[in-house]
Amino acid sequence: MTTTRSTRLGLGAVLASLALVAGCAGAPAAEPAGQQQAVASVALPAATVCDDANESTTSYAPAPGGATVDAIRTRGALRVGVSADTLLMGSRNPLSGQIEGFDIDMLRAVSTAIFGDPNRLQFRVITSAQRLEVLENHEVDLVARTFTINCERWETIAFSAEYLTAGQKVLVTRDSEAQSIEDLEGLGDQRVCAPEGTTTLERLEETYPGVEAVSAPTHTGCLVLFQQGKVDAITGDDTILAGFAAQDPYAKVVGEAFSAEPYGIGVAADQVDLVRFVNGVLDQAKADGTWAASYDRWLGALGTAPAPPVSVYGRVGSP
Amino acid sequence: MTQTIALQAATPAAGPPAHRTGLRGALSRTPGRLRVAGVVSVLAAAAVGVIGLNAGLAQSQALSDADADTTQLVGIQDVRNDLVVADATATNAFLVGGLEPPEQRARYDEAIVSASNGLARLAGSNGADADLLGQANAGLTTYTGLVEQARANNRQGFPVGAAYLDQASAVLRTDVLPHLDDLVQANTDRVDSSFDSVASVPWLLALGILALAVLVVVQVWLAKRTHRRLNAGLFWSTVLALAATIGGAVVLGSAAAKAGDARSGPYDATVSVSQAYSLANDAKSQESFTLIKRGSGATYEEQFVLKTDEASELLARPTVDPALSPLLDTWVASHQEIRALDDGGDWDGAVALAISEEPGAPNDLFAQFSTAASSSLEASAAQTHDALSGSGGSSVLVGWLMLVVGLLAAVLSWRGISTRVEEYR
Repeated sequence: MTTTRSTRLGLGAVLASLALVAGCAGAPAAEPAGQQQAVASVALPAATVCDDANESTTSYAPAPGGATVDAIRTRGALRVGVSADTLLMGSRNPLSGQIEGFDIDMLRAVSTAIFGDPNRLQFRVITSAQRLEVLENHEVDLVARTFTINCERWETIAFSAEYLTAGQKVLVTRDSEAQSIEDLEGLGDQRVCAPEGTTTLERLEETYPGVEAVSAPTHTGCLVLFQQGKVDAITGDDTILAGFAAQDPYAKVVGEAFSAEPYGIGVAADQVDLVRFVNGVLDQAKADGTWAASYDRWLGALGTAPAPPVSVYGRVGSP
Repeated sequence: MTQTIALQAATPAAGPPAHRTGLRGALSRTPGRLRVAGVVSVLAAAAVGVIGLNAGLAQSQALSDADADTTQLVGIQDVRNDLVVADATATNAFLVGGLEPPEQRARYDEAIVSASNGLARLAGSNGADADLLGQANAGLTTYTGLVEQARANNRQGFPVGAAYLDQASAVLRTDVLPHLDDLVQANTDRVDSSFDSVASVPWLLALGILALAVLVVVQVWLAKRTHRRLNAGLFWSTVLALAATIGGAVVLGSAAAKAGDARSGPYDATVSVSQAYSLANDAKSQESFTLIKRGSGATYEEQFVLKTDEASELLARPTVDPALSPLLDTWVASHQEIRALDDGGDWDGAVALAISEEPGAPNDLFAQFSTAASSSLEASAAQTHDALSGSGGSSVLVGWLMLVVGLLAAVLSWRGISTRVEEYR
């Protein structure tokens, strides 16, 4: 189990998990992160959102909440930015009309923690490209939409601790022999789809010049193009691709993950108390089996539930 | 070089003097002059007839063009309306989730059948439009395919269905409606130019007045030359030509006036209501999308406001049945209720209201507006058709009558002059 996970995780995530044990594995000279906080917040503002002491997956230590959480409680609803078409993670069930999935379960846990009711969610369906702006403009409180934590995004928003580790894979037609994007490059003249405004599309364009990168507004838009024969493959997180394979028996997900995508819940940068509150909720879910139950329900296709990602705390002051 | 040409050209210009002398000689004698006067008056009288026939035929043609182009225009707008109705129904049905209500499915099917029949019929009735109609038809095939795919996925509970519906709406708005909009514009231009010709044809008869003037001049000259007050043949010829011109002007002028009334009345109403109806249906689709997009529908709401504002401007025109505007307003007000619910965080409540088929719910209010707009549209289109198709026959008839009278006048003129020429034998 541990072995499979580390191959999937990649270097960054491995370092992140180690950070909990070793204080900070990437920076031998660093003091324990918690003690650094006061110094760093004065001397180093926003520019150092990611450094040796702040791995991208390092979040703020859990706390019971504050002004932001109180405001949400007063409002009576938690405004959340989600996907309505990413099967398994966040999608609208056409039969019930309800939005459901693994991401949504995490949000329901937060709703339960604030209101004692999992249904106090006010959904706002957003595209991948809208994830940052709805937080920056405070249009929603949380974004849980297959949202990879990375340093660039930490510059404008904040993330919860990692709650799921996905890895980028490729989806091809059932009869294709390609096992990776390199194989597709070898075939030549292959079009590969990824959604706009994602790390996936950036990586595709930068790392694989041998294939033609095609973008769509959403991941599901890619599936439409794939089913119409307008693209030959889709690349994306295994969590998302599993949802596609479930909708299309002529598609298959191939190969090993070639990146680690740590998912976090996005929060506005200036609402650190909410980040801390969410982290408390996530830790609870990871510990009491709620997390594993959700994983089995939605992501069972990827295998039995692994151990939940380890939360890494000790981020220095708010940028 | 230039000089050479000038010189060469100058030589023949000197001309054969003998011929000129001959012609001048003939014209200097009275019988010769009389014959020339005879030919001139015969031509003038005949001209009245020929001008009349041309004017009559031209107006009849312009009227039937205006009628055909109006019918084509209304037909294209009907197809456009069918398509937006289909799309509004499909997107609204999608909001229901799961299985769409059978009556909504039936409404969609009916609209699509009507649109594809309409496209085929329109391509047959005007070859000039066939190319764009063919492109619109191809787009429609793609559209219906995508909607079916959305349904099939929806039925299996696959969220990719929503993406297909999205694409279907996009195809409709990029590959079908723009072609129809181009055609609407082309036909509007054709109708306008046909109406312009109907209005301008009676002015052709002004040429008849020139011919009458020629007849009068000939008589004045004849009276001076022969010292007789009146030449009976020429007199009656002039009277006939005058009567024909006045009669023609009255008949063609009244047809033009009638067409002008149709243009500023029922035709204007037809075009305005049709556009407003189309805009309202478009807005209805946008309303469904504001909810489907759940919180990210701001741009769709902007479109809704734009389209309904434009529609109510059109319905405010004096030619339009005043009952329509309040119906549209009532529906738009019910849309505000949906928005208020959604903006207040009650998405489920907003959807429930948006898909409700209860009396007084937005769907019902929209249906009331649709029904009223459709029947008003049919009525004003029929009025326009009646006004345009009724006058063509009388224009043709008056044209031929003017020709007969003109020829009769020509015969009378010739006989009138001939009696004077006889006196010189």
